[in-house]
Amino acid sequence: MSNIRNKTLDSPPAACAGCQHHTGNLVKLGVNMDRFDYVVALAGNPNTGKSTVFNSITGLKQHTGNWPGKTVARAEGGFALGDRRFKLVDLPGTYSLLSTTVDEEIARNFILFARPDVTVVVVDASHLERNLNLVLQVLEITDRAVVCLNLVDEAKRHGRTIDPRRLARDLGVPVVATVARSRKGIEELLDTVAGVASGGIPCKPRRLERRSRASERVVGEMTATIEQAFPGLSNARWLSLRLLDGDVHVEEALRSGELVEMGGGAPAARAVGAETASGGAVLRVLEQARSLRWEVGPEFQDSLVEDLYAEAARVADRATIVDGERPAFDLDRAIDNLVTSRWLGFPMMIGILMAVFWLTVSGANVPSGMLSTLLIDRLHPLLHAFGGSIHMPAWLAGFLFDGVYLATAWVVSVMLPPMAIFFPLFTLLEDFGYLARVSFNLDGMFKRAGAHGKQALTMSMGFGCNAAGVVATRIIDSPRERLIAIITNNFSLCNGRWPTQILIATIFIGALAPAHVAGLVSAGAVVVVALLGIGMTFVVSWLLSRTVLKGEASSFSLELPPYRPPRFWRTLYTSIIDRTLIVLWRAVVFAAPAGAVIWLSGNIHIGDASVAAHLVRAFDPVGLLIGLNGVILLAYVVAIPANEIIIPTILMLTAMAVGAAGVSAGAGVMFELDSTADVRQLLAAGGWTTLTGVNLMLFSLLHNPCSTTIFTIYKETRSHKWTAVASLLPVVMGFGVCFLVAQVWRLIAG
Amino acid sequence: MMSSPLLNLVLFLLGGALAAAVFWPGQGLFARGRRHRSLASRVALEDALKHIYNHEVREDTCTLASVAGALEISTSRAVTLIGRMQSRGLVRIVDGRILLAEEGRRYALEVVRAHRLWERYLADETGVDPVEWHTRAEKQEHALTLDEANALAERLGNPRFDPHGDPIPAADGTVGGDTPLPLTVLQPGERAIVTHLEDEPPVVFAQIIALGIYVGMEVRMDARTEQRVVFDADGRKIVLAPLLAGNISIRRLEGASDTARETATLAALEPGQSADVVRVSPACIGLERRRLMDLGIVPGTRVMYERRGLTGGLSAYRVRGTLIALREEQARLIGVTGVTAARAAAGNHQ
Repeated sequence: MSNIRNKTLDSPPAACAGCQHHTGNLVKLGVNMDRFDYVVALAGNPNTGKSTVFNSITGLKQHTGNWPGKTVARAEGGFALGDRRFKLVDLPGTYSLLSTTVDEEIARNFILFARPDVTVVVVDASHLERNLNLVLQVLEITDRAVVCLNLVDEAKRHGRTIDPRRLARDLGVPVVATVARSRKGIEELLDTVAGVASGGIPCKPRRLERRSRASERVVGEMTATIEQAFPGLSNARWLSLRLLDGDVHVEEALRSGELVEMGGGAPAARAVGAETASGGAVLRVLEQARSLRWEVGPEFQDSLVEDLYAEAARVADRATIVDGERPAFDLDRAIDNLVTSRWLGFPMMIGILMAVFWLTVSGANVPSGMLSTLLIDRLHPLLHAFGGSIHMPAWLAGFLFDGVYLATAWVVSVMLPPMAIFFPLFTLLEDFGYLARVSFNLDGMFKRAGAHGKQALTMSMGFGCNAAGVVATRIIDSPRERLIAIITNNFSLCNGRWPTQILIATIFIGALAPAHVAGLVSAGAVVVVALLGIGMTFVVSWLLSRTVLKGEASSFSLELPPYRPPRFWRTLYTSIIDRTLIVLWRAVVFAAPAGAVIWLSGNIHIGDASVAAHLVRAFDPVGLLIGLNGVILLAYVVAIPANEIIIPTILMLTAMAVGAAGVSAGAGVMFELDSTADVRQLLAAGGWTTLTGVNLMLFSLLHNPCSTTIFTIYKETRSHKWTAVASLLPVVMGFGVCFLVAQVWRLIAG
Repeated sequence: MMSSPLLNLVLFLLGGALAAAVFWPGQGLFARGRRHRSLASRVALEDALKHIYNHEVREDTCTLASVAGALEISTSRAVTLIGRMQSRGLVRIVDGRILLAEEGRRYALEVVRAHRLWERYLADETGVDPVEWHTRAEKQEHALTLDEANALAERLGNPRFDPHGDPIPAADGTVGGDTPLPLTVLQPGERAIVTHLEDEPPVVFAQIIALGIYVGMEVRMDARTEQRVVFDADGRKIVLAPLLAGNISIRRLEGASDTARETATLAALEPGQSADVVRVSPACIGLERRRLMDLGIVPGTRVMYERRGLTGGLSAYRVRGTLIALREEQARLIGVTGVTAARAAAGNHQ
């Protein structure tokens, strides 16, 4: 990093020292950063609006969610102020830098070793005490920091005013009050950052004088050794604490001389550190740290944290003015009373989730129809016409347009609209803070299944798309529970499977009922299947946590964030970019080759029949045994890439099998029929019974995840074994359940 | 083609039972076969090294017979094994006693380090049952490479002790820790901290765990006879057979008891009540402990019990202005004092 860095630290532009930058000077550079003068790190607790600050500075649109731990990977962006260009690095949100989770490691090492010119710590003004803990830790390892006191409006709403000047005096670094959502204070923040970066604004951070009761003697001894070895070091005490804690990164940096240089050690000492790293001083310090380590009490780490909190509480107290009058009506509490109330909690939860699904399914019909008209009814013949005009061979046109293009177009038109509706709605609920309450309410059930309460969120996410649900399991920090959540996510009936369920339920279940309640009955059947999926989630979670993923339900903490009014347009934009398009792209990548395979199987002939016909015949015995048929099994094999093309593939294969040339659009060409009556007729001709319909609905719930999801599971678990388990378990269960239903059905039906 | 459904069902059930018998985790034929195969030569060698090392630590003599006994192999196989170790320069034999050579000690420490690190990992970062830590680590110690062990140590923050209280050898081979005292040396009235729970034999360890005893537990000896040992801990009386008590090591505490101030845990609060945190139980370790502290649950913090989740899993507490939900098991680990008598008014308390 430092080799491409054009360092101007030692020579700030003299003309500009302390001059004010106007708002108009800010140029958002997005990710187009190839040359920059300063590096600025952005640190902060989860859920403090850190990502919002990042976005409003860089003009990027990172997804922000009202859920702790949202920023999972490091993001970078840039901005320019006047003639100076800044690179902004968004560090993962962490509560502290002491402990050893991956996120905290990344954040700490970046501040310590990449040595940003300025570190901005975003702090939630309404939870100042807790946030100052991190600030104090940051100030121990870097001198150049700016505190961004964010969400001051929210704090005011809760009756708290923070005095930034008092806070700045206590901390020894500049403090800027902001409301990042509405860009209030951002310009002042940037000016301050620029000032600190150029050295125009001096920083004299407060360093904690700790009185760790238990280990004071040991720490004192260690510090004395370090001071003796490297006179003039400004953070000797911090260094000794880190060494006693056995921090290998710090040991390494001490060996290389990096740390001593940074801490402002005396020139002589610096030479010792840099040149004779093998020599006396460093080795002596490390040696002593290693032997003293065994002498500090077991409560060493705890007492460090306790001291930090005590200090944070003192600083926060001095800077906070609490309004004497509490607001007469606390909205957060009122909403919480409602959503966790004994009588209304569950009905509300079910109602809200049902509303989301209803909006998704019914709202997607119109745009889906439009897309399909455009892509399939209009563009597809045009492509054929084009192929004809350039004398393309028929087989190539068939392969490209009927195979690859048609499958892709189908996936896009069926998949895009529901996802573009579901994900924003879901994200709105998430940003508002409601989904955390759902987890809160449902945790008891998940706990009994040996699973994690946050699985409630990933499970509901799976109703939109299983691949997205699997990605969402990142919020579960215990590996065992996370695997359970990943493996069971497929039991959430995803968007791609709802149309199959609805169509088959209408044809086979609804038809059994009197006409005036047929719609209700078939909708009820779909709901039963979805509930069965939820039941399966719990049963399989329970089984897994009793067998291969054995273990106690590891306890966990869940933060219930304050309710925040979601911002509609921003959410719409980010959730479509972040979730919808990524998932859609993956699906398209997998669908195109599947289209090719489907077309080829229908058009390559071996002997008297096509490959597809041979396969259908081969699959028929097994299929019929479990109450399905060869067509369905083959459709599920070739349509692994996306559940969306199951119905078109089944129709195509059935038409081929029964030789209904009238309805079919040609060998290997997927199609859909406009009326359910036509579909019913075709399927009846294919030998379908009510049992076939029921079992298809069950099999649609219980079969392997689509290839996009399988790929995602592999990316998330990095394990062939667990990917195989997650893929095969549902399909084995599907075969088992269909088989049992078929046998019992036949026994009863005689 | 379509045979009788009833016959199908019967066949299905038989097939399912057969598959369960073969693949059942831990007990099935498949798992047994794997266990059998895992007794490969390297594993036996490493286990023997560990056995000799443990004897050395206890200043005990180690013989051919004890190696054969510990590894559950025949004496003739033990002879071959020790011979092989001797030719590789790992052990020396002096007057029938088996001693570790320099190279052997280094190797043994690596295995012990991998074992204890893995136990630490299981305790800190997974929800694995304490009874299973040891057996799992027995397997994993042979699989971890040196680099993997170092990476694991780094990720865990270079822990000094495993969850049983045994010191974890450092990467350079240094082992710290003081000589432990058995619980049975305590006189009635004396106080101590549990520093180590012996994990062998597993049956005894499982009993100790079942009694809710953990490393870091503060105990006060109540009475000690030939038949039983009685002590107070966490506000209850625990009765042990002396055999079990001998597997528990302690460090004496000076001064008067302060267990008296611990009157309640967070789990005892009623909605609306507030209390001050006194301590987070030492039984709460690893990721879980760090997370609680990060959330501000440290001694001195005032906590208010605000509401309960619908299905009874979680309770939400107001901690330093933030609403944090905990499961009951966790709330029980947080000792509190100064519980408000009346229902506090709802609102943003200071």
